[in-house]
Amino acid sequence: MKFSIDDLPIIFPYDRIYPEQYAYMCDLKRALDATGHCVLEMPSGTGKTVSLLSLIVSYQQFYPTRRKLIYCSRTVPEIEKALAELKRLMAYRVECAESEEAKAKERSFMGLGLTSRKNLCIHPEVSKEKKGKVVDARCRDLTNAATCEKGRADPGSVDLCDWHENLGNMEPGSLVPPGIWTLADVLEYGRDHGTCPYFTVRRMMPFVDVIIYSFHYLLDPKVAEQVSKELSKDAIVVFDEAHNIDNVCIESLSIDLTRPMLDAAGRSIVKLGDKVDEYATAELIHTSTYTSSRIKTTNSSKLLDEDLGSNASSPHSSCRITVLPDDLLNEAVPGNIRKAEHFVAFLKRFVEYLKTRMRVLHVVAETPLSFLQHLKDITYIERRPLRFCAERLQSLIRTLELNRLDEYSALQKVASFATLVSTYEKGFLLILEPFETDNASVPNPVFHFTVVITSGTISPLDMYPKMLQFTPVVQETYPHDSDTQCVFTTGASDFPFSPVSDSVYVQVITRGSDQVAISSRFEVRNDPAVVRNFGSILVEYSKIVPDGIVAFFPSYLYMESIVAAWNDMGILNEVWKNKLIFVETPDANETSIALENYRRACDNGRGAVLLSVARGKVSEGIDFDHNYGRAVIMFGVPYQYTESRILKARLEYLRDAYRIRESEFLGFDAMRNAAQCVGRVLRGKTDWGLMVFADKRFARADKRAKLPRWINQYITETASNLSTDMALTLSKLFMRGISQNPEENQTGISLWTLDDVLKAQAKQKALALEAKEAEEDESPRVGTPPLKHEASPCGAPNL
Amino acid sequence: MPTSVCTAKASYKKLPGVLELNDTHLQWSQDGKGPSVRVAHSEVAGQWRLRRVYTFVLILLRKKPFFRAREGAAQVRLKVALNGDDTGHSFAFTSPKAHIEREKFKAELTVIVSRNRSAQDAAARAPAAPAKPPPVAKPVVAAPLQRPPLLSQTPSRAVSVSSNEQRNVTIIPGNDPATDVRLRKTILMSDPELGALHRELVAISGQLSEAEFWEGREHLLVSLAASENQAKGKPGQMVDPRPETVDGETKIVMTPQMIHDIFDEYPVIAKAHRENVPSKLSETEFWMRYFKSKLYYAHQASIRSTAVQHVVQDDPILDKYLEKIDDELEPRRQRNERVQLFVDLGATLEDHGETGNEKDVTMIAGRQRGALPLIRKFNEHSERLLNSALGEIPAAKRQKLTDENYGQIDIDDLHDSESSAGIVLEMQDRQRYFEGGISNTAPEAARKPMDVKTLIRNAKVNMDNWQTNLSQLKIEKQAGDTALLSMTKNVAARLDVKSRKNDIPEGLFRQMMICQTATNEFLRQFWSSMYPPAAEVQVVAVATPQQRAAKAAKMIGYLSKTQEKIDALVYMGPQNNVDPTRIEIQAMKPVLNAANRAIAFHRTKTSTTKPAR
Repeated sequence: MKFSIDDLPIIFPYDRIYPEQYAYMCDLKRALDATGHCVLEMPSGTGKTVSLLSLIVSYQQFYPTRRKLIYCSRTVPEIEKALAELKRLMAYRVECAESEEAKAKERSFMGLGLTSRKNLCIHPEVSKEKKGKVVDARCRDLTNAATCEKGRADPGSVDLCDWHENLGNMEPGSLVPPGIWTLADVLEYGRDHGTCPYFTVRRMMPFVDVIIYSFHYLLDPKVAEQVSKELSKDAIVVFDEAHNIDNVCIESLSIDLTRPMLDAAGRSIVKLGDKVDEYATAELIHTSTYTSSRIKTTNSSKLLDEDLGSNASSPHSSCRITVLPDDLLNEAVPGNIRKAEHFVAFLKRFVEYLKTRMRVLHVVAETPLSFLQHLKDITYIERRPLRFCAERLQSLIRTLELNRLDEYSALQKVASFATLVSTYEKGFLLILEPFETDNASVPNPVFHFTVVITSGTISPLDMYPKMLQFTPVVQETYPHDSDTQCVFTTGASDFPFSPVSDSVYVQVITRGSDQVAISSRFEVRNDPAVVRNFGSILVEYSKIVPDGIVAFFPSYLYMESIVAAWNDMGILNEVWKNKLIFVETPDANETSIALENYRRACDNGRGAVLLSVARGKVSEGIDFDHNYGRAVIMFGVPYQYTESRILKARLEYLRDAYRIRESEFLGFDAMRNAAQCVGRVLRGKTDWGLMVFADKRFARADKRAKLPRWINQYITETASNLSTDMALTLSKLFMRGISQNPEENQTGISLWTLDDVLKAQAKQKALALEAKEAEEDESPRVGTPPLKHEASPCGAPNL
Repeated sequence: MPTSVCTAKASYKKLPGVLELNDTHLQWSQDGKGPSVRVAHSEVAGQWRLRRVYTFVLILLRKKPFFRAREGAAQVRLKVALNGDDTGHSFAFTSPKAHIEREKFKAELTVIVSRNRSAQDAAARAPAAPAKPPPVAKPVVAAPLQRPPLLSQTPSRAVSVSSNEQRNVTIIPGNDPATDVRLRKTILMSDPELGALHRELVAISGQLSEAEFWEGREHLLVSLAASENQAKGKPGQMVDPRPETVDGETKIVMTPQMIHDIFDEYPVIAKAHRENVPSKLSETEFWMRYFKSKLYYAHQASIRSTAVQHVVQDDPILDKYLEKIDDELEPRRQRNERVQLFVDLGATLEDHGETGNEKDVTMIAGRQRGALPLIRKFNEHSERLLNSALGEIPAAKRQKLTDENYGQIDIDDLHDSESSAGIVLEMQDRQRYFEGGISNTAPEAARKPMDVKTLIRNAKVNMDNWQTNLSQLKIEKQAGDTALLSMTKNVAARLDVKSRKNDIPEGLFRQMMICQTATNEFLRQFWSSMYPPAAEVQVVAVATPQQRAAKAAKMIGYLSKTQEKIDALVYMGPQNNVDPTRIEIQAMKPVLNAANRAIAFHRTKTSTTKPAR
């Protein structure tokens, strides 16, 4: 479909378009024109990605500046999906292009996706390693500048990676032919041509039009500088599913230290000390080398290396910690840690201090400031050298040309901890937990450094501006200065979803067929009656629902205990009769295989049930559209674990800073999560599914009010308080109805053809003209702010 | 070199060896020696007697368990009877998968036996009925096949020509007469009305032969046979032998199927069984030990079992096979296959370094003891079931999406459904279908090349003024009214019939019904012999014209008695307080009319054909 918005010709790779998509594209277009940040929201499953890509690519191709698009997504499956979407879009554009010239232009458009070495390595031995950290370290050993130099000068003296070497022989900027390359494509190309996929992508980054990677590469200070600093200033940055940004930021600025970690760090320090001694006695390096480690000074930066472009640091686990605020960057490393020996001694002291702190047998929560004060009182370690800890360690490791960096990971973590603790004050908290749980008797101390500001406080949309203030990272990487634009997109929306027929049926089951109330409330969750009633919901739905059923539990703990109980009660045997059972496990690869089999069973018609956890791996990045999820059952309300210290600290902060009651926040968070799980089953407007909330608390008005509107509009009065048998009868009716309803033609209403688009445009134009005239009549001088509606966050807090 | 169809370990006369079925012979050879028993296919006469079934009864009394075994013949046997030799051969299958193998042999031998039978029949018939050319030009497989496909090779649906003999009703290829009888029986039992008719006409009065009755109903047999032959997947439930308490005794009842499933589910047990059973333990001992052992409790993987574990005694033999419980966060059995990126959760995990604080207690997996092995067992079991039906996922497919396969990101709604090409209807003899249509309507016009322009012009002229024409169109009021009226009457009449009470006594009513259905059946036979159905695909041998004429005459004979029967019924009417006219006019009239019409038709037909002779 081809149409134009204002003067921009758009190519949309379908024959029809949802009105929502059209509106979304119009808003996005205006936001791009106005060069400002914008937040766009659209219901999940209505083709956000394709609309967004379609508009932005049209924009890039139409205007000569060709601004680069940086598209951030959350998970690798989503990255791959976005790449596939882009690939298809470009194929469609090539097909649509009229002249040969235009076709060539479309063909030269380039898009790549970036992920870690672990995911992209094809070296036969290195890629076998199970841990990403180890892959990184081994890869770095094979490919860093010093090794390469040595290996090239004297072939055979050191191991080199052939795939990496092959890349060096190629022209930079044409490591892969132009086009869109999904991650799987890049891997295959690498295998066929003997080149390294990871470095192909890394080195091609300056040359591509679209780059797709995960939030972390842009937001995590430990990663962002290396990966994202070369990106041009006028890029368009898109955060897909932006309601997750806050979590990513929080995660990347939080850190945990445990006792074994400190022990390992201690050992690393000893080793480091030995190395330094060796070095010193060999007199290979003059002491002055260390002393000049002044960031951004030039005289010795050779040794501090700039080998980024060629290799070295990876997106992950590399050690240079922060994109620190400017004042920090321009500061020199303080004198007392410039000398290597001094620095090693300094680290040793710090680790010893932490170990002593861990001997305490009661919970301690303190602010970074008080921690630093105490540290200074005891060990005389000042705040300033602490801030440079990570930086200094990084440069030292590089100078010593250490191999197997993964062995130093604990030390690196300690150094990061030191830097974070001394850099951030407000909104952060240190928590020392000597015991894992309240009733545990063996101490297993953990030092949490955590962010207590959380996003749930306000509607996610209100949060972003705040967050842009709050993380220095973001501030630094896209300063307010440049033309970089951030587009935040989200599916957690309050938009009404214009329904096609009644393709969604939401039910709230509050009691079993025996009228016993069901709930995952802590006191009753293991009550046999409740467990049995939960089980009978699953059994009964497995009898009547075709293909796939997804069930979510509030936590791993609960899922495990209930699965075991169901097995003992023989409930699962009933389910086996109707469907296969797959369960999420702690191991990601194992779960992926289970997922793949789940999908096969759904495709094949055998049907399957997938049991998973509401905040777990599966709920984050996997879609269950069409036959993969004809019913989704939420067993219980997915509350967070309220006894968690970190959560308690956050709640306290919320109460003090925003006057938000704990229960309010917890309820809001749980409902947002439940909605997210349930929303995964729809894609497109004719997809249909049952959504079952099984807990009596879902019937309460205050809980339901916290569900997004698109779900709430489907909860009828009758369906809001059902027993299992009633719910089943209604579900059967619904399914009979949906299977008899062949395509009421929705074209023109919730599906637009090209004509409808043109009609809408004409209408809009007429309206605009009218408004303009009216305005001119009244007050010719006041102009309406052009960006009013799309930038407007939803006004009041959602709480 | 003959190709082997199936092989299995089997003992013969208590000597271990290998039984093999190839495409010419069934042969058994002792281990390490050449074949000592060799039976050509043509000699196999059939019959395998199955000896089963062994049941273990594990008895746990109070807390102190003791065991008792009741044991049947523990062997899985196959007996092959030979032509002209009644004693035959008897093989005992010895491998752990014995009964599966036996089933396989059985299936193959069934085919061979039935083929032998039909070959014999054909041989017997051959001199009597000189071979006729196949009546219809159709891919029909000639009678005794050179080498009909064995079951496992191609389940052929081709029709084998059965004899012209009236009595023989063999219809479905690959079925011996016995199966056929069974099929017919099943159909008659499942459809009571058809069963009653069959009893009336075939079994009691003998007015119709079995073959005549089934003629025209072959589809029932074919569909039943097809549905029976459809391979059933494995049932989903996991094998979980649990003790049942009956009269104070706790027992576990084992069937061969369960043993097979256990071996399937837990290769360790299969291994233990293989290594120990004949040599160190007997079959019974093995299972009794197993149910007492730690191995069993480990495999049970329920939450309760962990509590039982410490009261279970050590078992020097079976404890060797104990594995470490698979409840680490990482599975013991690491799997290296890479899954499709669209569902690859591991990739996300490895996409960036660990960040953030550790999860709270409830979100850490593996806290509940015993749950993880259970969960793993579920996933494995489901996967095994899937693989048994679909086969493993080919490695190549895993790695990468095919370029055209955008199915997972596609939004169907947004495609213009009207512009798509649609699905082409697969039709047999499509060419002929269209030929027929053309030749019927206007064969000459079809041959003449048409001038498209004139056509369009004509069409246009016809379409001129269609709006005014349409608006001028008037429908006679009266006609519409009458139509409506008649419809209303019709509905009223039906309602009337429905609402009226059926006051005809049971016995008379049933007789009326029988009379009606029987007459209908005769009519069906008659008309199908007059106008043989345009040969459907799977029909039996088509009868010759003479046969058809004879049959028609016979049916007319029956039909002409209809009047008498109805008279008898009418006569019975007053005795049962039923108005005879109701019986005669309302109930039986249509049938009588139909019968008379058939008789009249037959008369004219015979009178016209006779002079021609």
